[in-house]
Amino acid sequence: MKKQKIEDIFSSMEDFSSVPPPELWSQIEEKLDKPKKKKRVVLWWSAAACLLLGLLLPSILHFTNSSENINLNNGNLENNTNSVVIDKEKNEIHNNKDLNKNKNTGKTIDSLHENAAKNQFNTDSQIQSQETSVAETSSKNKTSKKDSKSKIAVPANAPNQSVAYQNSGSEEKAIVKSSKKSSAVVSANVPNQSVAYQNSGSEEKSIVKSSKKSILGNNVKSSNKGISEERIAFGKQSKFNSNAKKQLSNSIFEEQIAAKNNKNLAFNNQRYSTNNSSFANGNTYNSNNAVSGKNDTKRTDKAVIIKDDLKITNSLSKTESMQLAELQNLEKGILAPEKEKEEKEKKDNLINKKERWAVAVFAGVASSENTKNEKTLGNVNDSKQSNSYGVKTKYSINKKWAVGSGLKISELGQSVANVSYLSAKSNAFFNPGTLNADSNNSPVVSADPTSQGYLFISNSTKEALKNENVQTGKLDQNLRYVEMPLEVSYSVFNKNKASINLNTGGFVGKLISNNVALDGHSIGENMNANDYVYGSTLSSTVQYRVYKKTNVFVEPAVNYYINPLNSQSFNQFQWGLNFGLNVNF
Amino acid sequence: MKDELEKYIKLCIKNDREGQLKIYQLFSPVLYGICLKYMKNEDDAKDVFQEAFVIAFQKISQYKFEGSFEGWLKRIFINKLIETLNKKKKESFFLDVFDPDTDFIEEEELEAIPIEQEKLLEYIRDLPDQYRTVFNLYVFEKMKHREIAELLKISEGTSKSNLNRAKHILQKRILSIKNFKIA
Repeated sequence: MKKQKIEDIFSSMEDFSSVPPPELWSQIEEKLDKPKKKKRVVLWWSAAACLLLGLLLPSILHFTNSSENINLNNGNLENNTNSVVIDKEKNEIHNNKDLNKNKNTGKTIDSLHENAAKNQFNTDSQIQSQETSVAETSSKNKTSKKDSKSKIAVPANAPNQSVAYQNSGSEEKAIVKSSKKSSAVVSANVPNQSVAYQNSGSEEKSIVKSSKKSILGNNVKSSNKGISEERIAFGKQSKFNSNAKKQLSNSIFEEQIAAKNNKNLAFNNQRYSTNNSSFANGNTYNSNNAVSGKNDTKRTDKAVIIKDDLKITNSLSKTESMQLAELQNLEKGILAPEKEKEEKEKKDNLINKKERWAVAVFAGVASSENTKNEKTLGNVNDSKQSNSYGVKTKYSINKKWAVGSGLKISELGQSVANVSYLSAKSNAFFNPGTLNADSNNSPVVSADPTSQGYLFISNSTKEALKNENVQTGKLDQNLRYVEMPLEVSYSVFNKNKASINLNTGGFVGKLISNNVALDGHSIGENMNANDYVYGSTLSSTVQYRVYKKTNVFVEPAVNYYINPLNSQSFNQFQWGLNFGLNVNF
Repeated sequence: MKDELEKYIKLCIKNDREGQLKIYQLFSPVLYGICLKYMKNEDDAKDVFQEAFVIAFQKISQYKFEGSFEGWLKRIFINKLIETLNKKKKESFFLDVFDPDTDFIEEEELEAIPIEQEKLLEYIRDLPDQYRTVFNLYVFEKMKHREIAELLKISEGTSKSNLNRAKHILQKRILSIKNFKIA
């Protein structure tokens, strides 16, 4: 007997080809309709735009704000004669007070400047205050615009969601329908199988006739190519049709009816091959090719046909068992795993489409830290604990990326121990002109009318002064802001009910409270504080779904404030830990 | 035929669906056959088939109308198949251990018996991933061990031993049928 190498035995496999299942083309079409790269590019651009916006907005505000601050500072130098910080060029406190009284008589009382200490500001400072109010209103306008945009965005998005839901709902219905149809086809097929077996010994003529019929049924012109080619042609015909499954199942149904009438084997073979291509994709190339290849010989030799029939019955038993298994699955209402996957994916998509928005309320603790070991009046700035709370909203662009914003009340502070100071009340007659206060690092405090005037001096000045009246105390400074962050969020983990997101972005804050306290007693405001601050934030959200669309989360965060004060060292770094509740919709 | 093919390719470059369909109709059986030979199960073969076709249509503008278009398509498919198998290999931590029993086995010539294509395909797909890949590349793509080694990022020696082991396994399978038939 002739001997062969392994390569020679497998050489027939070199040009092996198999007709792919018809549904693959539609899936390829779907993928071609959605260019992935473009999506990614859009995603990256949107993320970059958000970051850029987050950084640009605060910087613009900062520069406009800093110009105002310069004016204010000038105003302070020129006009804030009641300041407790002693300047060499300034007059004595007594004289100032008298002058202020005179000035106040000629001024119109501004409702905003009812405070006696603030009445000293002349018309310049009033103008400046107007400017700041203008700035405030402009910023308000900006924020209101944003609000209006976001409000528009919600209803605009809502119909899309509903449309998507409806569409996907209809798709689901379609799947259910098609599955029902296919199950109907399979069940209708069962009696025909028995017919096929009964007629396994049918004659050559009937086979030829039936093959012709099947060819006609499939709109194939050539009948000489054999059943295997017919099957391929059938596959081609049906797979390029958008309603392939329906047509296929319909044609199967028609053929089955015809099979009942004609009762011939070849026709049933044809039907088996079509059934296999639609239901048992896994083995279409296995037994059916063998069957169809052998069917070609039936036309010429009857003896061969009989042999082949026996083989066919063997191969049919395999396909039959597969079909029966499929049938059982369908009868039990179990869909094919692929369909289940698709449905799951669709459901996931639905959830994602439904839950694009999220609103959260949160509260937590924060600590302002001195990372650069900066000093005030020769003493190290200590950290200061505070609390923060707020609301935020998030919009998911896709499964991984989201953008968010909101409003947050946060406090930045610092505490300086052993600060040396002179009380104006206890030292009414000292000559401040002789003192060399560390003006760069000392907090410029506008006196609260209820408190006394204080002069803060540096440690070096204190030693030089050797004044018995110099006292030491703890100076606390708190700056409270209402902040609006703009964040980009990336989901690093999302499984079952738990998720972890990394968030980064920028924020802009408006100063709403400014307090300086000495030994626990409020003594006024820090005049160096900027009305607007901006900074960057980095946080991580660990979230857990507790009920339907409600989640609880913990959010450790670090914030960096770029410009809390104008010309004084201040804690700029803040870490925080927020706890909150989040609702998706 | 050649002119028609060029026409369809040009339509594909314009992202024309009709052209894409024609190309699919012409080449899908051969390319699906390749996918079936390289992947262990049919679901994976279908996935790679889809992805590779999408890549082919996206990159079709890179085809310079030089050489066989079918060869160009096959190259895309084989690259995608190997990429997918490499990913799987990383997941499964495939460990290639030297086995003197199979690595130095002499190839035996077998008696010529007719075996159906489906059976042969089944034997190929039953091979371990790396053996199957090397066997496919060597036997069907006519690649040299050096080329296979470069493509799969393995040594030439590994490629040779993988091929030997693949042949050894296939030989055993074929012999078992023969014995079964005799019995």
